[in-house]
Amino acid sequence: MHVSIQQLNKSFGPVRANQDITIAFAAGQIHGVLGENGAGKSTLMKLLSGVYKPDSGQIFINGTAVTLGTPRLAVQIGIGMVGQDPLDVPVFNVLENIACGLQMPNDAEVRQQIIHWSTTLGFPLHPDQRMRDLTVGQRQQVEIVRLLIAGSDVLILDEPTTGITAAQVDALFAALRTIVATGKTVLFVTHKLDEIVALCDTVTVLRAGQIVGTQLAMPISKETMLTAMFGEFATHAQVPAKPIPTADPRWQLSDTMLHDATFVLGPLNLSLPKGMIIGLAGLEGSGQRLFMQHLAGIARPDRGQIHFDGVPITRANPTAAWLPADRLHEGIIGAMSLREHVLLLRDSLLAPQQTAHEKAAQLIADYAIKATPDMPLQQLSGGNQQRAMLALIPESAQGILLEHPTRGLDAVSAMAIWQRLQVRRDNGATVLFFSADLSEVMQYSDAVLVFFGGHVSRLLAHDTLSEEALAALIGGVGFAEVSA
Amino acid sequence: MKTQFVALRTPVIAMGVALAVTAVLLLLAGADVLAAFGVLLGGALTTPSRISDMLMLLAPLLLCAVGLTASFAAGQYNLGIEGQMTVGGVAAMWWLRGYQDGSPVILYWIGAVLCGMLMGAVWAMLVALLKRYMHVSEIFAGLGFNFVALGLALYLVFGPWKRPGVASMSGTEPLADALWLPTLTGTRLTLITPILAIVMLAIVWRLIRHTHWGLQVRACGLSALASVRMGVPATRRTFEAMALCGACAGMAGALQIIGVYHSLVPNVASGIGLMGLLVALLVRADVRWVALVAFFFAIITSGSIQLPLALSIDSSISGVLQGLIVLAIIVARARRGEDAA
Amino acid sequence: MKQQMVSGRTSRTMMLVVVAILSLVFSACAAQSSAPAADEKFVFGLVLVGPINDGGWSQAHYDSAKYIESKTPGSQMVYVDKVNPADRPNVKVEQVVDELIAKGAKLIITTSDDFKDGTREAAKAHPDVTFVHASGDDVITGKAPANLGNLMGRMEYGKMIAGCAAALQSATGNISFIGPLVNDETRRLADSAYLGAKYCWNQRGGDPAALKFNVTWIGFWFNIPGVTLDPTKVVNDFFTAGSDVVISGIDTPEAVVEAGKAQAAGKAVFAVPYDFKEACAKGEAACLGVPYFNWVPSYTKLINDVKGGTWKQEFTMFGPDWADINAVETSGIGFAKGKALTAENATKLDAFIAELAGGLNLWTGPINFQDGTAFLKDGEVATDKQVWYMPQLLEGMEGQSVSK
Repeated sequence: MHVSIQQLNKSFGPVRANQDITIAFAAGQIHGVLGENGAGKSTLMKLLSGVYKPDSGQIFINGTAVTLGTPRLAVQIGIGMVGQDPLDVPVFNVLENIACGLQMPNDAEVRQQIIHWSTTLGFPLHPDQRMRDLTVGQRQQVEIVRLLIAGSDVLILDEPTTGITAAQVDALFAALRTIVATGKTVLFVTHKLDEIVALCDTVTVLRAGQIVGTQLAMPISKETMLTAMFGEFATHAQVPAKPIPTADPRWQLSDTMLHDATFVLGPLNLSLPKGMIIGLAGLEGSGQRLFMQHLAGIARPDRGQIHFDGVPITRANPTAAWLPADRLHEGIIGAMSLREHVLLLRDSLLAPQQTAHEKAAQLIADYAIKATPDMPLQQLSGGNQQRAMLALIPESAQGILLEHPTRGLDAVSAMAIWQRLQVRRDNGATVLFFSADLSEVMQYSDAVLVFFGGHVSRLLAHDTLSEEALAALIGGVGFAEVSA
Repeated sequence: MKTQFVALRTPVIAMGVALAVTAVLLLLAGADVLAAFGVLLGGALTTPSRISDMLMLLAPLLLCAVGLTASFAAGQYNLGIEGQMTVGGVAAMWWLRGYQDGSPVILYWIGAVLCGMLMGAVWAMLVALLKRYMHVSEIFAGLGFNFVALGLALYLVFGPWKRPGVASMSGTEPLADALWLPTLTGTRLTLITPILAIVMLAIVWRLIRHTHWGLQVRACGLSALASVRMGVPATRRTFEAMALCGACAGMAGALQIIGVYHSLVPNVASGIGLMGLLVALLVRADVRWVALVAFFFAIITSGSIQLPLALSIDSSISGVLQGLIVLAIIVARARRGEDAA
Repeated sequence: MKQQMVSGRTSRTMMLVVVAILSLVFSACAAQSSAPAADEKFVFGLVLVGPINDGGWSQAHYDSAKYIESKTPGSQMVYVDKVNPADRPNVKVEQVVDELIAKGAKLIITTSDDFKDGTREAAKAHPDVTFVHASGDDVITGKAPANLGNLMGRMEYGKMIAGCAAALQSATGNISFIGPLVNDETRRLADSAYLGAKYCWNQRGGDPAALKFNVTWIGFWFNIPGVTLDPTKVVNDFFTAGSDVVISGIDTPEAVVEAGKAQAAGKAVFAVPYDFKEACAKGEAACLGVPYFNWVPSYTKLINDVKGGTWKQEFTMFGPDWADINAVETSGIGFAKGKALTAENATKLDAFIAELAGGLNLWTGPINFQDGTAFLKDGEVATDKQVWYMPQLLEGMEGQSVSK
């Protein structure tokens, strides 16, 4: 199926998210769509999948102009999109989840199809598994299978590698190659250059809502792509790690047991020193999130105590700031503006005599957030929301807990964020983070905690670890020796 | 220009649809549609006595709706509003029963209103407690407590507080005349009631929109998780917002006792709380619109009383119209991609 | 800032539009609300607690008024029905009365015990209009303003006949009574039914110990889901518990409907409905007959008195016309025999009615209250007031004398 777009425009209020987009995607290829945060990639894909309606312009399928009124209609025409967060019904099993959106499902047939596609694509899926028992990566696989069964000829994937394991990324790439081999089209949206190099047949670069590099056939050098994305770019700088001090910990966990509905972690006996950046490594869902919520005082341990600067934690405390990955749900209040957020946090954020509006304007300038103080944060792009959330960490915060701190950020923004976090570290704050990106853990951590099988390793100094050794520990190889 | 037009268009179209559907229903019932709308929309404003009755309906409706905007702001669907109004009436009656000839009346009025507010707040807190610590949805807990409150009122009316000799559904023995709130001559309007309602409207508006407390309440309502993360005492704020709502409802209940029924009737709430819920659904947590929408609802409810007399149409058509308006607006919002609440 | 300005302006525009729409509508209907034309008509208003087609109390009032309207040229009825907290939650009697008077009513008849306070207040507010509260007692208690009278039928007789019919036809002597809420009136009527049943059971030669008379109160005059007991369920429970006749004291016809269904299912059970002459139609096969109110004679007199300026405040009790208790123009209390009553029992019932007409007074001692205390000594005859303010059920009856 051949998809082309003519003069497409879409604005949100004063923001022109897509301007005069004209492009064509040939069938049987994987097309990379590259751009920094807020470049308009997600908007373009949502226009293509019927989530948004264009202000002007046309979409053509096989040369015929179409109106993609709703995602359902788009799927019927043959365009399906796998979103950043797969949307599914947790209590359903795989079969129900796939069948419930189909026109005239025949359970036996759907079951057959699921098994067929799972086998073809190498996905370890079973029709009777409950969705809530699956990892993000598996849910994404279900979504892909669902769209294929629904008859999609064009598959759009929006930042599909965030939050899934390396093995799942490999499986995904292999599956996508299989899919295009059957003559279907894949649009692959990302801000990661490596993925474009590894996977795509062509690349289209977006910047500030416009196409700056149309349909460049791979291979293309990373420098070329970076120049297209940013106009200019800086290379990563390796930062020397700090040694682990022992006395006077920031967090102290003594014989602590943590649990939530599905997971038990501990018993934990840990001292987390001041003035360090500590990476939490482990497969996704190994208890890192649970660990952070407890350190932040959002949840309370079953047994034992957690001390923060020598004081037992009893409730959420702005001096131990937690920045969850699910920004709009847990991190910030989408309907409120930055100014209102400043007001909410006024006790720890506002200087004497300073108005919330001034402070918000200052944060916007300092963190290069594309927003006004009174704009509801839900109107911001994902990267700008992330910046806003980081900007709202009070200066007084001595503990900073980050889930996927640079998820959805481009390389330059990510570096800027890390520089700020390093300054905080140098001023004595303890920064904990977890990231699915092992290289990020290796690059920025002074020390690492490895999560495996309901247990946490002792604090491992960065210079004692190689990336290979860390990968082995995450998989459980040799974990017993470092277990705390 | 375009966005303005769109923002304006949605509610107007929704209203139009609701009116049109109601008109079709009236036509099907064989009624004179124009005359029916005339009575429905204007009937309540034709004589001083009708206007006063409309205002006496508006006042408790406004109190409930204002309270509900506070609980809505905190993200709570306080369906227990009827029960909170009922227990407010019960508490007011409890206080008033201490009256003896010659006691200072004003003390009993103020006491009755305060008792009503307190009891309404307590009743709302029970719902909040169940939600917070037993994980019972506030919708079901509220409905449950409505029945408990009604049961309590029925028990008192037919039991310990019954009229001498004859227990009657029409309530306890009427209050001493001195305890009746004074009315404007020739009407049933007790001026203080709508005034109190407006005062509460102003207070709640100020609290929710212009105080740090209100900001925190709204933050809890918009995202409990995020507000907890930012150190907002979410449980406390939710409780306080619920209590504020309960207090408003309790005040309405107490005012119904001293200003309207002059005795404890089992049905103190009489659906006013639920109508307030419709108003609150329409305006959501935006206090600015409460007065106007409540006024409109009071007019059609009040006007509908004349329908059976004037046109032999059942007065329940007013409820149908109100329901349709709310439905149409919610549908319109959903189509525009706003959240339904 | 720009965003705010836009939305602020939008709300103001919206408000203007809404206000404009409203004022248009008001001006459109202002023309219609002219005062009623003052012609020769005599308008009287009825405030009814139930719907006009309830097949019971309210319909009896409505049909009587309709009858008068058709027979008396120049008279016109206006009414509001369903004035009760379930159907019209925010409507007070006073408000309804205002509306009726706005329609030109010079006489207002309110027809529920629950309208007592409201009728009194409305009467005070409209001293130039005559008010009659049917089933009230403000005249006796002295609370009534000068323009408020009371009116009630001596349904005691109707209930005695009902009780008698039940006792005559019951195979087991197990009779049940479904009552509304507990008050003087309802106790009085339940007691009357019991006295009639007892008398006829004994006349028939039944074992006095075998007569069971069970009273269950549902909580209101008709079913209000969630508030009252469900009368349908109560009636079926009676049958399950062994009763073969149910006497109804509520405004709606569940008893006869359910008995009719049970008959159709092969059970030999019967019912005696209440209030409304045609009530048997809802379950003819099981209906022994119905004691009913006929408001035609009393309303006619009221209208004539008010029209002629001869109305005087009084507490009026009217009874059957013993010459023919079913005479429309003269008898205020009647009993329409049902198809289920056997010819033999019908004859016996007529004999009982003749006895009543001949002066038989069942309110003659010895009669004890349910708690064993003496109500009437041997040979003592109850006064009207004693009967009116009935404090308890009687000895031999099961059920609550006072509400829980």
